[in-house]
Amino acid sequence: MRPSGNLPRKADTSLAGPDPELDLEFPPRPEFVRVARHAIGALARMHGVTQGIVEDVKLAVSEGCTAAVAANSEAGGTEPVQLRAWVGAESVVIEVLDRSGEPEQLVAGNPRQINTGELPFERLLSVPIIRGLVDEVSIGPREDGPGTRLRMVVSISEDDSI
Amino acid sequence: MGPLLNCPSMDLDLESTRRGTASVLTLRGEIDVYTAPRLRQAIVDLVNGGATRVVVDMEKVDFLDSTGLGVLVEGLKRARSKESDLAIVATQDKILKIFDITGLNKAFIIHRTLDEAVGESPAES
Repeated sequence: MRPSGNLPRKADTSLAGPDPELDLEFPPRPEFVRVARHAIGALARMHGVTQGIVEDVKLAVSEGCTAAVAANSEAGGTEPVQLRAWVGAESVVIEVLDRSGEPEQLVAGNPRQINTGELPFERLLSVPIIRGLVDEVSIGPREDGPGTRLRMVVSISEDDSI
Repeated sequence: MGPLLNCPSMDLDLESTRRGTASVLTLRGEIDVYTAPRLRQAIVDLVNGGATRVVVDMEKVDFLDSTGLGVLVEGLKRARSKESDLAIVATQDKILKIFDITGLNKAFIIHRTLDEAVGESPAES
């Protein structure tokens, strides 16, 4: 984790630029999802995000990283999962990237676009959680080669930040 | 930051005790994709061992995600298939919120206290 001297102010696409405040790679195994969760929690608290929103962000990251680990497992992949995050004045932007192959579905921002059709039961439950916590979701291919990029934006309203 | 090499320690403690006719499973720590299989096995052991009522006490649970929630749903289905039942004790907002946003607050009986869950105090309205 590295602090940024110039915090972004808006939760738009440009916020997820080349210099995340958190850039963490971990092996695609279940025991490491906790590490990612605690790292994002520490970053959010460092920015004065209230505990309720910190818990929401940790949960969103846990869901995203669990899906990435599961996708790697199904594909037999061993490449690390990458968690990147930016914390702005109005939102937390999270990216979870893996090398499991092409995305199972494409989502362009609206959490309600997530298709639950073929998901197994465990992952089915993650959909209402993400819909309930996250303001924007994008699922698409990585820009740097094969793999999936999940991007989530969690708003921090003025009432929610210290 | 490069790949992490050290494996983090497991962070879920489970303790099984009896309270009257109830089998109480007290959880401490985090329930996620790594620790949830231990919770699944503990519930299976209790139900297969003849427990007529399983109470999962989540008051000391720091974190729950969809994987842990799925294990609780499986446990509820397993219990009911054996003419048993599974109830939850939870008061923390961060835990209750997950039951609420998934709609599973309607599937589970969620008690505010362990005494209430094991039938030693009247249920709150």
